[in-house]
Amino acid sequence: MPKPPPDPRDSGSASPPADPLVALYLARRETLLRFFAARTGSWAQAEDLAQELYLKLSERPSGREAENPGAFIYRIALNLMLDRARGAARTAAREAAWRALNRTQLGGEEIAEQAPADEAAASRQRLRRLIEAVAELPPQMQRAFRLHKLEGLSHAETARAMGLSVKSVEKHVSAALRNLSARLAE
Amino acid sequence: MIGRSTALDQRREAAAEWVVRLAAPDLSEAEALDFDAWLAASDENLAAYDAALAVWLEFGANAEAVRRGLESRRSRPRAGLRAFHAAVGAVAAAAAAAALILPALGPASRAQTYATRAGEHRTVRLADGSRIDLNAATRLTVALRRGGRDVTLAEGEAGFDVAHDPARPFVIAAGDRQVRVVGTQFDVRRRAGQLSVSVARGAVEVVPLPGAPGEAFRLHPGQRLEHAEGAAQARIAPIAPAEALSWRSGRLVYRGEPLAQVVADLNAQFPRPIRIADPALAAEPISGVLVLDDEAAVVRRLALLVSAQAVPSGGGVILQRNGTPKR
Repeated sequence: MPKPPPDPRDSGSASPPADPLVALYLARRETLLRFFAARTGSWAQAEDLAQELYLKLSERPSGREAENPGAFIYRIALNLMLDRARGAARTAAREAAWRALNRTQLGGEEIAEQAPADEAAASRQRLRRLIEAVAELPPQMQRAFRLHKLEGLSHAETARAMGLSVKSVEKHVSAALRNLSARLAE
Repeated sequence: MIGRSTALDQRREAAAEWVVRLAAPDLSEAEALDFDAWLAASDENLAAYDAALAVWLEFGANAEAVRRGLESRRSRPRAGLRAFHAAVGAVAAAAAAAALILPALGPASRAQTYATRAGEHRTVRLADGSRIDLNAATRLTVALRRGGRDVTLAEGEAGFDVAHDPARPFVIAAGDRQVRVVGTQFDVRRRAGQLSVSVARGAVEVVPLPGAPGEAFRLHPGQRLEHAEGAAQARIAPIAPAEALSWRSGRLVYRGEPLAQVVADLNAQFPRPIRIADPALAAEPISGVLVLDDEAAVVRRLALLVSAQAVPSGGGVILQRNGTPKR
């Protein structure tokens, strides 16, 4: 059973970690979580990956200093995610759809997978705001956002469906997100 | 004041770009370090990023509900148009099977969506000379590009006659598999998470999408691949090529398939739902040809095949065993 990564807030009570990489990881843990959350689309997966990263770093033979510890941590983080990253762009949308489908097919047989508290379903009123905000986006932006974020297509699949380059899709989706986060922050 | 709002806009823009860029499969180590530096540069950056990320994750967690909300919102003002009914029928059928559904969001893009409702067949001729026959309750999207021809089969079944053009590969995405065409005639079916690909002529490759488990297969005429989405394995079975595409000529051909599958196929073809009274009857193997003329006649013939009787019930029909004990 792997032990969980220590919370950086507790590190004051224990002796400081000897490995500078682990120390750097602990100092950057919050940033890495934010990095993983955007990459996987979920806090739960971000926590898993942060945990795996911690294990990778702490199991690494000590004594060998990385030239650039920050770059080294991100290199491992990216490698670690290679398997997951392939599916990551599929987002929670497809997972949720699959779960819904499985539940219908298997009836009571399925073990319920509970969403973490911070990914719980929005209230009806909030949901209405989310829907309105998407509906008011300009057409191309809206289409890219819906295909990628709501239908769960990857950037490449969205590009194919829209007849655009992957770069243009990323631009449309991030413009949509900028627009939505400004609107929903009001 | 204007200056401040502009700075806020710029931070929001950068934050949204990072959230989206970090999800890209080709993110580089250098970009990851740039992100780390940008985030650490100011508390305002951090706050803007957290706000964008929260919205991003919120949409992820509520994707299904927002998608449905947008669909019903969009359909309301157009009620009354015939095209609308066709689209909604297909959307409803697709939604019932969940997974990858491509909505038609307007005329803006070169990708074109085609849909059929229950009982409707449609033939689409593409600009490259290829032909697609859509079976009932089917929805697919076509994008013809200079470098390739891409089809996404969201739901249903379609037969393809692909014009030979080695410079522009013809690729069909269906669930977690890709069907790559090498110039040929074949059939792809995706209903309720079950994928099958049948080849009549030429050869096609069926390849797991990136991230999906399983291996690639090359199919030759007379072969059918069957695969449950999400599973790693696929099964290859022999078929009579003409039978795989028989629905195009208004016939359904079965060799030992369970009655439940036949009824599911018929329910895609006809508006009045058919149900089966008991599980043993549903498992009964069916062999034969059903000509799809009118529903009452088809149901009568089917009842003869399994020695059952068709009893009208509500808006539909129930199939039950002959000689029910209670009389």
